[in-house]
Amino acid sequence: MLFNKEESDILLHRPVTPRVLLWAKIGVLVRVSLWLAGAFNLAGFFAGIGASDGGWLFPPAHVISTVLEALFCAGSVVVVYQLCLRWFGRERLDGLMTMAQVIVAIVAVLAGQIPQLIGRFNGHLNFNFHSWWVCLLPPAWFAGLDDLIAGSRSGPSAILAVAGITATAAILWLAFEKLARDYESGLQSLGEAAAPKRPRGERRRWLATLAGRPPLRWWLRDPVARASFLLVAAYLFRDRDVKLRVYPGLAPMLVWPVILLFQTHGPGKTDGFSGLSGFSIAFSGIYIGIIPMLALDLLRYSQQWQAADLFRVVPMNGPGPLCDGARRAVLCVLTLPVAGALALLAWQIGSANSLLPLLLPGIIALPVYAMLACIGGRAVPLSLPTEEAKPVGRGATMVAVMLLSGLLALVATLSWNFGWFKWLLPAEVVLAAGLYLLMRASVGAARWTSPE
Amino acid sequence: MISLQNLTKRFGSQTAVDALSLEIPAGQIVGFLGPNGAGKSTTLKMLTGILAPTSGTATICGFDLLKDTIEVKRRVGFVPESGAVFESLTGLEYLEMVAALYAIPSEAARARIRQFIAFFDLSFETLTDKLLGAYSKGMRRKVVITAALLHNPPVVFFDEPLDGLDANAAVGFKALIQTLAREGKTIVYSSHILDVVERVCDRVVIIDKGRLLLDGRPDELVASHASGTLEKLFTQLTGGTELEQRAQDFAKTFRP
Repeated sequence: MLFNKEESDILLHRPVTPRVLLWAKIGVLVRVSLWLAGAFNLAGFFAGIGASDGGWLFPPAHVISTVLEALFCAGSVVVVYQLCLRWFGRERLDGLMTMAQVIVAIVAVLAGQIPQLIGRFNGHLNFNFHSWWVCLLPPAWFAGLDDLIAGSRSGPSAILAVAGITATAAILWLAFEKLARDYESGLQSLGEAAAPKRPRGERRRWLATLAGRPPLRWWLRDPVARASFLLVAAYLFRDRDVKLRVYPGLAPMLVWPVILLFQTHGPGKTDGFSGLSGFSIAFSGIYIGIIPMLALDLLRYSQQWQAADLFRVVPMNGPGPLCDGARRAVLCVLTLPVAGALALLAWQIGSANSLLPLLLPGIIALPVYAMLACIGGRAVPLSLPTEEAKPVGRGATMVAVMLLSGLLALVATLSWNFGWFKWLLPAEVVLAAGLYLLMRASVGAARWTSPE
Repeated sequence: MISLQNLTKRFGSQTAVDALSLEIPAGQIVGFLGPNGAGKSTTLKMLTGILAPTSGTATICGFDLLKDTIEVKRRVGFVPESGAVFESLTGLEYLEMVAALYAIPSEAARARIRQFIAFFDLSFETLTDKLLGAYSKGMRRKVVITAALLHNPPVVFFDEPLDGLDANAAVGFKALIQTLAREGKTIVYSSHILDVVERVCDRVVIIDKGRLLLDGRPDELVASHASGTLEKLFTQLTGGTELEQRAQDFAKTFRP
């Protein structure tokens, strides 16, 4: 929202200064923040009236503190962008912000699991409201303001309230006055394509070089699949739009196997039978299998979808080889590193090593899951407009897949506990191979459908 | 070389192309004209295999569009109006991808790409160092034209090919298509720049609402309709009457 590439063409030649634009955007950011804050605090507004140190003053006090907090949050976002712009320049801003948003998505999923992980390690969440470090948390400042106006009116609350008001004023001054010039210059340079400071060609060729050497060269013998592999890999590494859709979308898939593995560790988790531990390991293995499926689905969408008309013009019977290349790119770039990291983590955790074979049912199912996304030649990369990406439809599919995956994990765990796991694996290999070959033939036979 | 037989395309109740029939011999440059929404791009998309016709068919180089689609596609090059490219690839990566899709060996493709970039005055460093998203519109158009001609097709469809090209590149491009036509390639050239069409094309086909309105040599058509220029003929045929008067009236509304 702060930096839109098309904006300079549409607005900057009109009598609107970047500062006015910035204010307008801040206005929208604040309003959105207020809507969210209002929604989250709705119960709190009324609960505060009935609290032992609350009263009729609480709702207006909480309105003031909520508005201040929304201003603080919106201003902080703007300041962070402006500082990045000042320190790293426009060229690197996109990359940095993309990375930041991806990390935030992963951390948000991970953070939700921290309390129960601490509990699992027999740790204690001893939250002392009188600890000195609480004063460093912005929510405490605004809670202090509430307490100052409508609560105990104690000295520490006054200090926190002053800290909140001062910090908000400082952030707003930085955002709208001190650093506003950086925003203006950043906005003006949006449409400029600066020459690269150093040759990037060789750096960009590493993908092609990698694909041209064994083992990838052996794996990518078909030139169309190889071209599709390189296209998808390049977009996974370079394209902001794709990165912002794929990585946050995959964040739960990347984080959950780690959490499930940690759940198998800790006091009370010993080798041998442990129903929950076994199920967790089996399920984390299946999560790895779902990564390529979800990634292939997310990779179908692109802002440059019209460029994919090229695939229909070239002499190809159907989209099979393109799906094949995309599938291999996702396996190579996303799935293998995650699987490797997970195996390393499992080995490091150590205590559940005897249960690690339970990862195998998921890993055996991985090629089937990956191929599932390609059925009917659906996984043509970057070929659909981003507006058509419907999380609701994908959510329904994912629920169905998760239920099936849960069933597989349950069967794996039961077979482990009843001693017929050694028979389950070959049976699954045969079944998975059969399904894989059937689906592969189906993808190969898929023909182009009319794009209307 | 190209033969359209009652080619029709309907989108729901709307008919975009209505039983269009044409014969285009080898070595001819055909200007394919029509107002916005006339069905030009839809026709070209059907002829290149992007869209399936609702009825009718076409043959290109003797191959039926519906029965021998792959053989048709091998013989066709297409510069789409959108000029869309995969912007997170470098120019070279994009062209190498296109070469791979046409099964052109990489060495042959690289040699051909070098010929094109020399013709279009692009540097090889630009092609390898910069992502297509950072190219100017004209540079991107040059890459798209190169991609369409990379496999040396006998039939080429151009949809607004000059969009974004500078004057020098446009002159060079016009000379290029005339030379290609002399060497036997068939060019179908769709554009709204009618004076260029008038100068470059051997023949003009004008369609409106999916139907063929006029077909012939530009000079003969202009003479037979006593319209003076192709532009005036076009506006006469496609309902653009009293445009100058309407423009003058509208401009007057801006007077202080």
